[in-house]
Amino acid sequence: MNSTDVESAVMMKNMGSTSNGAPLFNEEMVRSELEEIVGMDHVSTERSDRLVYSCDWFWLPQMWLDRGERMPVPDYVVHPASPEEISEVMRIANTYDIPVVPWGGGSGSQGGALPLYGGILMDVKRMNEIIEIDETSLTVTAQAGINGQQLEWALNEKGLTLPHYPASANCATLGGYLAPRGSGTISTKYGKAEDLVLNMEVVLPNGRIIRTPKVPNHAAGPGFMNLFLGSEGTLGTITEATMQVDYLPETRLFRALLFDDLSDAIEAGRRVMTGRLDPTVIRLYDPTETGERVKKILGEELEGAYMVIGFDGDEDLATLQEEKAMAIFNELGARDLGRKPGEKWWERRYDFYYPPQNLKFPWMYGTTETVSTYSNCKQIYHEQKRAVEEGYPEWDIRYIAHFSHWFHWGTGMYSRFLIEDPPDDPEEAIRLHNRVWNTAITAVMENDGMINEHHGVGLKLARFMRRQYGEAWPFLETLKDAIDPQGLMNPGKVGFGR
Amino acid sequence: MIENVIDTTEYCRHCLMCRHVAPVGHVTHRETLTPHGVAQLVASERRGMIEWTEDTVQALYAFSDNGDSRAHCVTSQPLGEAIAAARSEVVAQDKAPPVVYELHDKLQRWENPHEAAEPEPPTGEGDVALFVGDDATHLRPSTLEAALALLQAVDIDPVLIGRGRSNGFLASSLGLPSTAEALVRATLQELAESGASTLLVLAPGDYFAFGQMSDERLGIPWPDDVELLEVTQLLAQKMEEGAIGFSQDASGGPHAYLDPTHAVRVPSHYDPARQLAGAVYPDTDRVELFWRNGRAHPSGNLAVQFTSPDVADQLTKARLKDAQSVGAKRVLTADPGSLHHLAHHASSFDVTVEGLFETLAARRS
Ligand SMILES: Cc1cc2nc3c(=O)[nH]c(=O)nc-3n(C[C@H](O)[C@H](O)[C@H](O)COP(=O)(O)OP(=O)(O)OC[C@H]3O[C@@H](n4cnc5c(N)ncnc54)[C@H](O)[C@@H]3O)c2cc1C
Repeated sequence: MNSTDVESAVMMKNMGSTSNGAPLFNEEMVRSELEEIVGMDHVSTERSDRLVYSCDWFWLPQMWLDRGERMPVPDYVVHPASPEEISEVMRIANTYDIPVVPWGGGSGSQGGALPLYGGILMDVKRMNEIIEIDETSLTVTAQAGINGQQLEWALNEKGLTLPHYPASANCATLGGYLAPRGSGTISTKYGKAEDLVLNMEVVLPNGRIIRTPKVPNHAAGPGFMNLFLGSEGTLGTITEATMQVDYLPETRLFRALLFDDLSDAIEAGRRVMTGRLDPTVIRLYDPTETGERVKKILGEELEGAYMVIGFDGDEDLATLQEEKAMAIFNELGARDLGRKPGEKWWERRYDFYYPPQNLKFPWMYGTTETVSTYSNCKQIYHEQKRAVEEGYPEWDIRYIAHFSHWFHWGTGMYSRFLIEDPPDDPEEAIRLHNRVWNTAITAVMENDGMINEHHGVGLKLARFMRRQYGEAWPFLETLKDAIDPQGLMNPGKVGFGR
Repeated sequence: MIENVIDTTEYCRHCLMCRHVAPVGHVTHRETLTPHGVAQLVASERRGMIEWTEDTVQALYAFSDNGDSRAHCVTSQPLGEAIAAARSEVVAQDKAPPVVYELHDKLQRWENPHEAAEPEPPTGEGDVALFVGDDATHLRPSTLEAALALLQAVDIDPVLIGRGRSNGFLASSLGLPSTAEALVRATLQELAESGASTLLVLAPGDYFAFGQMSDERLGIPWPDDVELLEVTQLLAQKMEEGAIGFSQDASGGPHAYLDPTHAVRVPSHYDPARQLAGAVYPDTDRVELFWRNGRAHPSGNLAVQFTSPDVADQLTKARLKDAQSVGAKRVLTADPGSLHHLAHHASSFDVTVEGLFETLAARRS
């Protein structure tokens, strides 16, 4: 099949076809209906758009394109300007049974925004207005398509900050922060994106526009907003959100430490958290990542487990908190490397994600991050590392990990496998990729971890959802069926089929 | 050069990290017209997955090439240079938009895209030269007149060179490197003949063209013995020394200095230009645009004004909307090309557009 054949085959599959193979209705008709809603300039069936919107930040489609293979493409790329327009687009989708895939910044690493079954790719970036900054309640209300860094700059102009600092703020959108339940660098103190949201506006699959209650903490019935957090576009399109913001802190203190032993370092982090010392960040690198990436990016050659801890806010308080944490670290035998390397880490914290430090093709990689209680996290780390490193001796897998999002009860572990010389054949590469993932996720699930902490499920982890949820999975499927009976929203993601 | 192009687009197609400052992506909201999208197209064409067709070429030519992506790239990838080189391949294959070939003809014949008129010869010899360029000659002569009046006030009577000639950026950005080279060389020839040891320029775009682009994209190094300086920098220095002063006008309401096209490529532009604006309009009345300094977005005076005029208009309008939304009643900028585009749309935004040099010249005390 040539590329055009592939595209039209996908389209016919999506739109249905008559028994003799002719499309039930033609592309132009739907296109003109969409144009009536959003305007001619905001619907595209151009080849350039179809190609670019066929790939998000998941390794698999990137690799596929890298090797000159084609991904399923959307039939229509639509840019709505309001929830009302999205509602109208949903009416068309319902009428003709066309899949709809919400797209924010396309920076998701799980394949969540891929138009697997073609259909309407709904890029929400035209909806990028800040509606209100409430300087009394410290909230910002903005449309879901606003770019994270642009929102942050706007808040900074008023001395405020949205304390969700993902490494992808430059490219992700507010809706994209919430849909997969993201975490930022300072989530340990300020919470995940889901902890920062007060309320949301959502367009349901049937086109109805709903709003969750103004505040999330109440006793007026079930908190259904949570349904949309983590739904990754499978239950509706988030169009607006009110987020809690903070004053830009008066002070930020960082310090670096070195532990001989990773277990002691995890224990140190646990004591800081259970002692409610309220650190802004605890970033703890395992010895391999300390030796490789900390060296590469911060230029420090160290052996052991490297930790950066930060405190912010009122200077006196932050200083006291830091003192108390240092007492714990001393007790556990940490070497204090001082402020400078801690500050350097903060300045360079995002460099870990960019080329050329970051992953590049033809490498194969996957971020097998997870979250679990303190009772399980060490076991998960050792099990996952062993299984991944020892399971594929012929592929010389490198495994690195850091612990980055800490809770009172446990911690998130950001682990990654990396194969510098994967199979040339793309299909073979995918098979290997999936096998390594199976290994890594099995180690997580067997030790009571969650299959993901902040990147979401998307396509990548969809196949693990049934096992993750066990008896509760049919309940989630029932919810999906009730909210989206035609299965239009983002089919094939989060474990929900088409 | 071509090897660099491949490397750069290979990095950029999987990197989304300059999205927040991508000006065309910001006004069109199309992923395809962001740096990563355009890089993806180039990389895909090289793999035979797409061809250069009207649609894909249009997207390739919608890239702004104003420096924002590189200014915000953690690894300083020269994407603008890469896209210019990719465009030159498209030109060679006869697949560029027809307007590119029309412009090529004009640039070769008239050395500017605006008027069927050859450049005027330089005005003589001297220690200081001023590159006039095509925008100040054909689109906004008042900027040149005002700049000259200000320079005379500080006892500088520059030799005028490049009178009506493009600085070479347009040709380079369109993918016409040999024409760009000819334009730059013609100006350097005039500079050498003038005997000047300082070349003044009116706008960051000229500073970039001579100070960086010609070396990086065309392999023409800047002469070691000539200092390149923006007029804004020189005047701000003279003002600080007390050699020139201005009377203040407190009547006009809030004003903003608008960093012109290419300003992100010349960070030394930001402060002097604001100091000068502050000499005429009180600092208490100054507001700052959202898209300013290191994240300044361009007006429409880029190659897109010819290849995607709608995108150029959207960029210009976005600047005015920015000014409007921060409450500015007037915006000032130094660059004649930016001024030309801004002035065209100003009335729709209830904002007055003023040339920095024109305003300064009118208020010299
Ligand atoms: C370099 C890099 C670093 C990263 N670092 C982090 C990090 O530190 N923390 C983190 O949490 N993530 C990180 N990510 C992953 C990713 O950027 C985040 O998940 C991000 O929040 C996704 O936002 P987006 O707007 O790009 O969403 P997209 O990729 O466009 O979409 C992600 C999913 O959400 C759905 N979606 C998007 N918008 C909406 C909407 N308005 N309504 C309903 N569904 C929607 C999509 O359908 C898709 O399923 C990183 C990614 C990159 C490339």
